[in-house]
Amino acid sequence: MVTPEVEPYIRQKFAENAGLTEEQLFTADATLADVIASSPRMTNSIDLMEAFARTANGLRKDYGVRVRLPALPLDTPITTVLKTFLDEFEREQKEAAV
Amino acid sequence: MSIAETDRASSPVIRRSAASDGSPAIITDLYDALTKRGMSLVDVTWEQQRLHESRRWSVVEMLAAVDLDSLTPLDRNLVWNAGRAELTTKPGADRLERQSEAEVRRWQDKNPTVASIMEACGTWSRYWNEEEAHHETVFNRLADLSGMEPISDETFIQFRQVFPDDDMLRTLVLLAISEITAAVNYGQCQHVIEDPGLRRIFKQVAADEIQHRNYFVSFAKALVDSGEYPAKDAFAVAHLFLREDGELHGSARAQLEQRGSHVNWWDQLEVGDNDFRPEALEKKEQLICGALKKITGIEVHSREEVEDTWMDLVGS
Ligand SMILES: [Fe+2]
Ligand SMILES: [Fe+2]
Repeated sequence: MVTPEVEPYIRQKFAENAGLTEEQLFTADATLADVIASSPRMTNSIDLMEAFARTANGLRKDYGVRVRLPALPLDTPITTVLKTFLDEFEREQKEAAV
Repeated sequence: MSIAETDRASSPVIRRSAASDGSPAIITDLYDALTKRGMSLVDVTWEQQRLHESRRWSVVEMLAAVDLDSLTPLDRNLVWNAGRAELTTKPGADRLERQSEAEVRRWQDKNPTVASIMEACGTWSRYWNEEEAHHETVFNRLADLSGMEPISDETFIQFRQVFPDDDMLRTLVLLAISEITAAVNYGQCQHVIEDPGLRRIFKQVAADEIQHRNYFVSFAKALVDSGEYPAKDAFAVAHLFLREDGELHGSARAQLEQRGSHVNWWDQLEVGDNDFRPEALEKKEQLICGALKKITGIEVHSREEVEDTWMDLVGS
């Protein structure tokens, strides 16, 4: 079971790095391409990669869990990205506990 | 009074030569050259010109040495792919010229040395463009003569689409990696090509690509040395290529981005009936690590270390 505050933590970090509010970022059908297009801070997928890296670094610092995200195509919905992040977090957390 | 008359007046016997001493080379420490050594853009451009001149070769002559009837299906496929890939270099060089120009204006008052680095890069783009013209035409002409599927005007125009702009350091590192990929691919091709004339073409083009890589590395290093561009961005681009399922895997990747805006040549290679793929991923990985060392001074040895270093540099 993922620590309950992790989801809002990831949402907040993503939004912070994208320069968008959580409401703007996590709309039902927004894809990564949409995020790049609407973010005032992002030019291309390198910025996206960096936003994920900062989030992962935050999780490592604040929760001691190391999450690695796979390369995701730009048509991936942001909700799927969030879920992937949470799944990875859970997997890593379990592995660390063993 | 002309220079010749001046010379005659001051020294009637000894004629001063206008040529430079020493063999032409890329200025690998451009930032220091512009600051500590006080080189001007005229000096830098002169070095670019004489290196370019010293490396010129003739497409017409190279083609004359190829025995068309001896080419194997694999040879012809390699030529065809190379010609298509090289079509994308012109928009790359055109864009570099325009982007450098814009960066010069942006930096002129803030940091004149960075403006000079950008200008040196924009100026060099004309040599780059000219050299890539050789690559494009030598391969496409050969593909055409050897009866490969013709490149339609539609494809030609599609491959000419301009890449979107990005941060200049990231752009330069991407271009350096693109040249590494091309050089290694062409190097690999040489091993399977039998016709000596064709082998020589691949060898020449690979050598050109290595020079191009060296130029991109030198401009990128100068930007990092200026303190205005963080090393993190060089590592980000390297990671983009080296990560699992990253750009380095090119057309073999499970999922290719559908861009509609521009063509990445490494996505477009077609294997045909033969199963030769000029991958040599480890070699590319090592060359990318070497480029990162030169650009940032940070030493890494593997894609895992590239990722770890990048993550550290990014922070949280
Ligand atoms: Fe080329
Ligand atoms: Fe090149």
